[in-house]
Amino acid sequence: MKNYFHAPTLCAASLFLVLLFVNACGGRVSSGNPQAAAPPDLNGIWSAPFTPDISKALGHQPPFTTYGAARFAKEDEFDDPLTKCLPIGPARGIQAGIMPFQIVQTPAVLTILFENQHTFRIIHTDGRSHPKDADPTWFGDSIGKWDGDTLVVDTVGLDDRTWLDTAGHEHSDQLHLVERFQKVDNNSIKWTVTFEDPKFFTEPWSITLPIARQNTEIMSYSCEENEKDRAHLRRTKK
Amino acid sequence: MKTMSSFMLGLAFFILPLPTPVFAHHGFAVEFDKDNPLTLTGTVTKMEFMNPHIYFYLDVKGKDGKVVNWAFEGGPPNVIYRQGWRKDTLKPGDVVTVKGFRAKDGTHLASCSTVKLPDGREMAGGTGGASQNAYGSAVAADGKK
Repeated sequence: MKNYFHAPTLCAASLFLVLLFVNACGGRVSSGNPQAAAPPDLNGIWSAPFTPDISKALGHQPPFTTYGAARFAKEDEFDDPLTKCLPIGPARGIQAGIMPFQIVQTPAVLTILFENQHTFRIIHTDGRSHPKDADPTWFGDSIGKWDGDTLVVDTVGLDDRTWLDTAGHEHSDQLHLVERFQKVDNNSIKWTVTFEDPKFFTEPWSITLPIARQNTEIMSYSCEENEKDRAHLRRTKK
Repeated sequence: MKTMSSFMLGLAFFILPLPTPVFAHHGFAVEFDKDNPLTLTGTVTKMEFMNPHIYFYLDVKGKDGKVVNWAFEGGPPNVIYRQGWRKDTLKPGDVVTVKGFRAKDGTHLASCSTVKLPDGREMAGGTGGASQNAYGSAVAADGKK
């Protein structure tokens, strides 16, 4: 009986089919589904431009409500929660933290470890929702979803004692943050944050900053270690 | 205060580059007076390379012969470490010249914009320099937002 299953021919045909399959899957043979492709790797140490006045990045003042404008007009750096060594908050930690931060990424959770005050954010990427009626906290509750090459982080439940920057832009506990971390290349992330707070702002507004990979390590920090400034601070407004 | 006035006359005042506040936990304007720049030469008595800002101290002799121990505040140790500072960059006994701005409360405290070391190097004090500041300071040295 003639052997119709010539081994080399069979192997070549199989290889062709495999390559065809891989190509159809965009090279992601492991998942077989482009939607389930591995997300970009954001691990590493990063820093954004120091932006102590967020309106400079926006190009103008945020769209204040009457209440928000009145609060900003009277706010004084003297009252900055950082002068009391209180936590910096989620977005300010990125844009006005002076110091770098480290992203540690796993499939179910992504953490941002701030050198500033050695604080951290936990962003759940396991598909959970925000808890209902959670008490506000310094870094809020963050959940993340991947949208292609972009991690979209939704944060609510923020303590209204944090500031958005050193200049005194404040918010209420109704603040809702939506951040987009788009991996541009191995050394850069495009970060866009949208601030929504009906008490302080008439409409949502956004800034975009470049985040660059840093050739350094996260260093030690303790705000209370040798804090001597508080006694010398003076109000900047009468 | 009379002694203080004559002492202040002994300070060499001149225009300094505007400070770029990169303070770790407070802005420039809330502590220092942009209208009161100073340059002081003295002998290092102590260095505190600690958070949230470095502090170092100089014995400074005024024209009246009195020695006053001044405190100088620089940037956060992490920030200035990355700019080349080390905890022994300033050692007790070193004679250095510091440019900065005096504290608003009138005490013998000033910010450190730059410090000239005995070997001639001039180090930024951590109130500017390597830290990026593309999007402006919270409160400029002129006190305006």
